[in-house]
Amino acid sequence: MNINEVQRMVDKDGIIFLSYGGFLSQALISSMTEALEKEAEYNDISMSDSNNIFTVFIELSQNMMNYSKAANVNDASFRPQGLILVSKSVEGNYNIHSQNIISLQDKEKIEPKLLEVQSLDREGIKARYRELRKSGQHTHGKGGGIGFYEIAKRCDLLEYEFNQINEDKFYFYLKITINIDKKETK
Amino acid sequence: MENLKLEATKYTPEISLESSGVISMVGKSYPENTFEFYSPIIEWVEAYFDGSAADTTVVNMEILYFNSSSSKLFFDFFDLLEEASANHTIEINWIYDEENESALEAGQDFIEDFEALKINLVKK
Repeated sequence: MNINEVQRMVDKDGIIFLSYGGFLSQALISSMTEALEKEAEYNDISMSDSNNIFTVFIELSQNMMNYSKAANVNDASFRPQGLILVSKSVEGNYNIHSQNIISLQDKEKIEPKLLEVQSLDREGIKARYRELRKSGQHTHGKGGGIGFYEIAKRCDLLEYEFNQINEDKFYFYLKITINIDKKETK
Repeated sequence: MENLKLEATKYTPEISLESSGVISMVGKSYPENTFEFYSPIIEWVEAYFDGSAADTTVVNMEILYFNSSSSKLFFDFFDLLEEASANHTIEINWIYDEENESALEAGQDFIEDFEALKINLVKK
């Protein structure tokens, strides 16, 4: 591996940080959140936009952490690893990307939620979020719960892909965009 | 009833439960296991309202940002307060920074979801 290639990629794509191949732990997530706080402070990002970035980052990384904890430990292909990456576009908007391996069964649980949040406008997402929070169902297990609705409430664009690895396994890629309003005076 | 106090960590708020009638949570909330983390808090509050609750209970919530399971937990906590408010006087201050739009929005949602509770939005 040539570290300069990684450096070029980091510079070219505005990557702020990434974590791959290791265990995502709560300690690591909170340290990365702290690094994001510094990043937001350094770039003078409004509190509203910053909190949206932190919340989305936490939601995605804790999702991956919880998913890997719940995965079948006897199945080496579900190693507790994932890729989480925060990058900044030339326009100064933030992207949070996550990718991990999930089963077909979980894909079938997640996909309807993602389709739903994509089909709703902001008010619709907020209404659905409150409805689901109230009903209290599906909030504890893996597979998102109200997490995807929390993310959708806080971002400008949610994109996802499932890429099949074999009969039962998929790469689940999620890309979240948070636009930073430079003229924000709030 | 003994007071309960938890110091803030990088991912949990400072929590102070005083039997004199003041409950405060200040900071960030994204524990690894939200329900486990908050269960002693919920138990304390339940025992407090079952027994020696003060004439008026003031709840100060000042949460900077939180994950979705904390959001659910706070909902359950408010649900518990609403139930207790049938027999107790409870006042809730949802404290937010004026620049923190999502914290304000979260407070407004709780006001709409818990009509029986007196929730004040308090700008810092």
